[in-house]
Amino acid sequence: MSGTLTRIEACIPALRRYAAALLRNREDADDLVHDCLERALAKLHTRRDDADVRAWLFAIMHNLFVSQLRRAKARPAGEPLNETHEAAMSMRPEQESGLQWRDLIRGLNALPVEQRTVILLVSVEDLSYAETANVLGIPVGTVMSRLARGRERLRQMTEEGDEARPALRRVK
Amino acid sequence: MSDPGRPIAEEELHAYVDGQLDADRQPTVLRYLQDHPDVARQVAAWNAQRDALRAAFGPVAAEPIPPRLGLERLVQARLSRRLPWRAAAAVLLSFGLGGASGWFLHGGQEPTAALTLLAQQAVANHVVYTADLRRPTELGALQRDDLSRWVSNRLNHKVAPPDLSADGFNYIGGRLAATPDGPAGLFMYDGPQGVRLTVFVLPLRAAASLPIQHIDFAHVDGCAWIDKGVGYTVVAKLPPPELRRLAEIVRGQYGGAG
Repeated sequence: MSGTLTRIEACIPALRRYAAALLRNREDADDLVHDCLERALAKLHTRRDDADVRAWLFAIMHNLFVSQLRRAKARPAGEPLNETHEAAMSMRPEQESGLQWRDLIRGLNALPVEQRTVILLVSVEDLSYAETANVLGIPVGTVMSRLARGRERLRQMTEEGDEARPALRRVK
Repeated sequence: MSDPGRPIAEEELHAYVDGQLDADRQPTVLRYLQDHPDVARQVAAWNAQRDALRAAFGPVAAEPIPPRLGLERLVQARLSRRLPWRAAAAVLLSFGLGGASGWFLHGGQEPTAALTLLAQQAVANHVVYTADLRRPTELGALQRDDLSRWVSNRLNHKVAPPDLSADGFNYIGGRLAATPDGPAGLFMYDGPQGVRLTVFVLPLRAAASLPIQHIDFAHVDGCAWIDKGVGYTVVAKLPPPELRRLAEIVRGQYGGAG
């Protein structure tokens, strides 16, 4: 089985995963995937068959996400704080690691969006640094610096969370 | 490429975590981590972070895809939004060609209901889509295989665009077309002097086979035939003998008698 449509279809699970990690609400995430697929189908005839479908789709979705953010910023009312991140919350393990889990998701959402996207594309979506640069339309050097800053900041945030409640620390 | 002896850059530590480090740098980085436990702890934390993120979001990709994100459904929705038959009806009415009285079949046979439907739909789709300068086709020539697969799936009948390049007609793409009798495939070609030719394929399960008939449609000509429950037409602004010759080539490629 080959062909662009088949390859697009194969990318839908990854697009949903990335959208779920970017947006707090699963419904919004699937809306984003939906818009991305619509856009991809509308642009299908401009594509060369041999180009990388996955990077192309992620780039379309990134552009939609960025314009969504821009519109959200233009809205007067801000997003409600402390929204649950359903994607992660539904998967949260029960015991004490749930707290670390929550710290991780909170920390991720607290990162600037430029760092969050790079961390997710590299760590979760397994895109190479060059592919990530391509998807985001930035130089590879910028990918590296955002990755380094984002990871380090997220590490500090989750470790601070750990130190704030030493009694719950896992004993190996 | 890279010098195994050069000092460690921070980005190499990340590349190590992400499995993107050059193989020849691997031993150097590992040795460096052994010698610098504080850095090793940091790298281990990045690793754990990476694993935790994958564990957090990974299950989303294992879920079944919700129906509204099904690709076939999205393609169908795109096609039906265009309402090709309604647009076609408007075009035909504007030409004063509504109804069967506007066109004539020449082939020695009485026009059957199936042939009437086939000819009307083929000409309507030809008129609407060849006039569409921005996007005459849904999928271009590069996506020939994709289109064949989707049209075949929808028609429940294996069909691919015929090859007319030896006769100077180059395939430029195609689309799924809508008819009152279900989906049809439309394949479009660019010929000499900018002549647009379309091949239209519509399953007509119960229809009896018919040899090639000439359709005289005022401003375009066509050839239509029915073979083993599938209707075919070739439509273009071409002299009838030339059109007939091309129709016979198409028919031959679709496995019909010459």
